[in-house]
Amino acid sequence: MKLTVFNGSPRGKGSNTKILLEHFTNGFMTNDGNTYELAYLVRVKDRESFINLFREAEHVLLVFPLYFDAMPAVVKTFIESLEPLCGREGNADIGFIVQSGFPEAIHSRYVERYLEKLAKRLGCRYKGTVIRGGVEGIRATPDRMNRKLFKSFYELGKAFGETGEFDKQIVFKLGQPERLTKFYFWIIKLITHKLYWDKMLKKNNAFEKRFARPYAK
Amino acid sequence: MKITILNGNPNAGNFKFDNYLKELSDLLKSSKHKVTILQLRDIDVRYCIGCWGCWVKTPGECIVADGSRDICREYINSDLVLFASPVIMGFTSALLKKAHEKLLPLIHPYFELVPGGVHHVARYDKYPLVALLLEKGKDTDEEDIKIVSDIYRRTTLNLKTSFSFTKLTSNPAEEVANEINRI
Repeated sequence: MKLTVFNGSPRGKGSNTKILLEHFTNGFMTNDGNTYELAYLVRVKDRESFINLFREAEHVLLVFPLYFDAMPAVVKTFIESLEPLCGREGNADIGFIVQSGFPEAIHSRYVERYLEKLAKRLGCRYKGTVIRGGVEGIRATPDRMNRKLFKSFYELGKAFGETGEFDKQIVFKLGQPERLTKFYFWIIKLITHKLYWDKMLKKNNAFEKRFARPYAK
Repeated sequence: MKITILNGNPNAGNFKFDNYLKELSDLLKSSKHKVTILQLRDIDVRYCIGCWGCWVKTPGECIVADGSRDICREYINSDLVLFASPVIMGFTSALLKKAHEKLLPLIHPYFELVPGGVHHVARYDKYPLVALLLEKGKDTDEEDIKIVSDIYRRTTLNLKTSFSFTKLTSNPAEEVANEINRI
């Protein structure tokens, strides 16, 4: 199977999306004969080559981080460039992976509806959307704490490499929690405030200014 | 009220859309509102790259000195912001989304739990109401309008405010102005 992967993260090669995708493609490649091509949508100047990649693709995977409840603008720019291909005979199958910094899947459910409609609009068979929350945390935590998550993406890619579909059980598992309990919220709040935001603020000598309102009249 | 209209029409040749906004703006001004139209396609805004600089380096301001700083200033000092865009491939334009993402400095990195889930806390005391104005494309159906509206309603949780309405440019501008006057 030949897979065409679009990494829609505005952080490009420095993205969490890239890390998740590496585990996915490692699993995908365990199946003999599988190949994949990877494009970074943040390079908006390469628009023409992205359209060509899409036109020639058999199976497409579009992966991005959630930005303000939807796709990042770089991804929307890409989607707009696909307009001439809508309804074209022979468009690829398409699947999506949406990851968010927010810990719960609920945030990504709104754009999920958009993506299903997008597949229909393009005339691509829709393989579904994998949703994963809490991904911003992986850059701040040691790899051993992410082992389970990375393994899930590896297994997801492996199953995809064999069947061409997302494994429903893995998708369900990755989509947990749908919502957060108060207890987990307090743990997450404690960790992210102290170990993530405050740490960076202090490192940049900006901690005292953290509540600044430069545009207040 | 102070009203800011974010014009997300990427196509300078689409006069119909811009003229509609001009008509709406004139109507609102005649009702004593203060109206600013920000022509996003004429403002240099770089894509947000999620660097967190606006939260942890220069809190409250994007580290990139582009036109988004002026947009943020107008935005936060408004009572109502109308996100206006033609529907392209089932969503508002990339141009509008690009400006939207650069509103990130207006909120704070810390978390709070609200009924819709974990969200960031407010940086300012007051945030403008959000409303949506869409121009249907040839391929736009009711389901698209519903999907976009639901995403914008949802995003008001991130923008620390509430959602007022979705209107289409197929509605007369008077109708939109009346809707705003009722707020």
